[in-house]
Amino acid sequence: MKEPPDDKETGLPGLRSWGRVYWVVLGIMAAWIVLLTALTRLYS
Amino acid sequence: MNWIDYLILVGSLLGIAAYAIWSTRGRHDLRSYLKGSGETKWLTIGLSVMATQASAITFLSTPGQGYESGLGFVQNYFGAPVALIIIAAVFLPIYRRLKVYTAYEYLGHRFDPKTRLLGAGLFLVQRGLGAGITIYAPAIVLSTVMGWRLDVTIVCSGLLVVLYTVLGGCDAVSLTQKYQIGVIFAGMLAAFIVLLARLPAGLTFTDSLALAGGFHRVNAVDFSLNPDRRYTIWTGMLGGLFLALSYFGTDQSQVQRYLCGASLRESRLGLMFNAVFKIPMQFFILLLGVLIFVFYQFERPPVYFNRSAWDYQAAHGSGGRLRALEADFNEAHAAERTDLRSWLEARHAGNAAAESAARGAAAAAHERVEAARAETGKVLRAANPRTTANDDDYVFITFILDHLPHGLIGLLVTAFFAAALSSKAGELNALGSTTTVDIYRHIVKREASDAHYVAASKWFTALWGLVAIAFALFANLAENLIQAVNILGSIFYGVVLGLFLVAFFLRRIGGTAVFWRALAAQALVFALYSALPISYLWYNVIGCAACMAFSIILQAVIGPGGKGPAAAAAA
Repeated sequence: MKEPPDDKETGLPGLRSWGRVYWVVLGIMAAWIVLLTALTRLYS
Repeated sequence: MNWIDYLILVGSLLGIAAYAIWSTRGRHDLRSYLKGSGETKWLTIGLSVMATQASAITFLSTPGQGYESGLGFVQNYFGAPVALIIIAAVFLPIYRRLKVYTAYEYLGHRFDPKTRLLGAGLFLVQRGLGAGITIYAPAIVLSTVMGWRLDVTIVCSGLLVVLYTVLGGCDAVSLTQKYQIGVIFAGMLAAFIVLLARLPAGLTFTDSLALAGGFHRVNAVDFSLNPDRRYTIWTGMLGGLFLALSYFGTDQSQVQRYLCGASLRESRLGLMFNAVFKIPMQFFILLLGVLIFVFYQFERPPVYFNRSAWDYQAAHGSGGRLRALEADFNEAHAAERTDLRSWLEARHAGNAAAESAARGAAAAAHERVEAARAETGKVLRAANPRTTANDDDYVFITFILDHLPHGLIGLLVTAFFAAALSSKAGELNALGSTTTVDIYRHIVKREASDAHYVAASKWFTALWGLVAIAFALFANLAENLIQAVNILGSIFYGVVLGLFLVAFFLRRIGGTAVFWRALAAQALVFALYSALPISYLWYNVIGCAACMAFSIILQAVIGPGGKGPAAAAAA
């Protein structure tokens, strides 16, 4: 199976490198944990 | 269920299966049968990965967990995004560069044939048993819902998935999963909307959260360091990371899903799709359970959600005791409902003292409600030990049947079945592939035509389907279903992950060292599981760490011998 030459391109607007994609995903994960912690503190 | 529900159920399931078989007809070479046409885009991969993991158990049992224990289970998935990033960055490029059919083929490249067989064997044992549980869950739903015989339900649903998986191979699995997950999301969203609409007038969403919080159902994040607690942020971040790393990175049922991507980019984006949506999806399903809990504080639920078990025992022997408990339950629930209405009025009036008093009274009444329910469970299990220990698995389906309109009932039951079939198909596809590639082609018949291996793969897939059906027929599950699957996975996954992490990151370690130490680590996990009362998620960490540490020590003793012939290729 021949790898297409664009494998290094993410194809995502504003996120040209895979490193940036991973950081954004980590940021979303952290945001969820903060949100759920706040929910816990607020309603427990 | 009426004819509309049956029409939706049968039409959707058979229609999706028939379309997949028709679309994938005429694919006779091994590569397209096991890895697909090579044109799969990221969204299909992402949905396929999601559908393989999210079985009927996820949608049936998780709302029950939310109902009983609140949001805490969501922490189990905190490690998943990090794991998926590691897989996308490290595992996936190596798998694609080596053009492997299975993850265990890579172990053969990196170490030696016996280590490849060990990895494949652990997968076949663990996933073969897990496949039985996957098929058991929806069978419980339907047998309870429609009064069907459990064994007939297991056999019918099992044979349908075996049919299209055997005939269509990898592409049929991905294609059906895409449509099945659409049905699932539609069903869950419909249930959520109906639930919100049916909450009592005057009870806002924030009131619901405040009420649930008063009964400890909104404890989503627990920072406790107590190792006895099953779900904390630490078990989720560390144990969950190892569980997800092992499941998504080394379990062939998942690896096969993203190896069929048109390119590395498509496969990576498919994994990132899951990294972004895994936590919110689980949160949403648990929140559904929490809101069902709130709903049932104002609408009287059955004393025991498994109505067929209650009805049977009420008519055969334990009727007097059960009816007395039901009367206690109804009385306590009526008192709790009155107290909660007082609490709601006080809350809206801003009367903090009255709010606190009403909440205290409601909590006391709720304890009586729970005591009656627990005692009912004890009576039922004493009368018939085969009664499922965890009544929570019946919470969501009871809500659906009692409170959703016809049409939506059919959609939800279809969603459960779609979820069961989609994850089952992924598992069978992987079991058949691993048996063909890592056992049959590797040991039994090395030189044969593609057509021969495709035929062998079909036979092995069918055989594993029959094994899963047989296991489901004889299953007697004592735990909550989703926990049973995760516990089973955690016992094996740690060691399998250890094998792969040694392969990827400890390049000086050879096959002999890792093979024997993996066996020792697995024995250690078995011993600890039977002796220690710690959260099962820790066994992912323990198994992996033991496998890696033992391998390093043994390698230091035996020297550099036993290194795999293609270690350099894997580096």
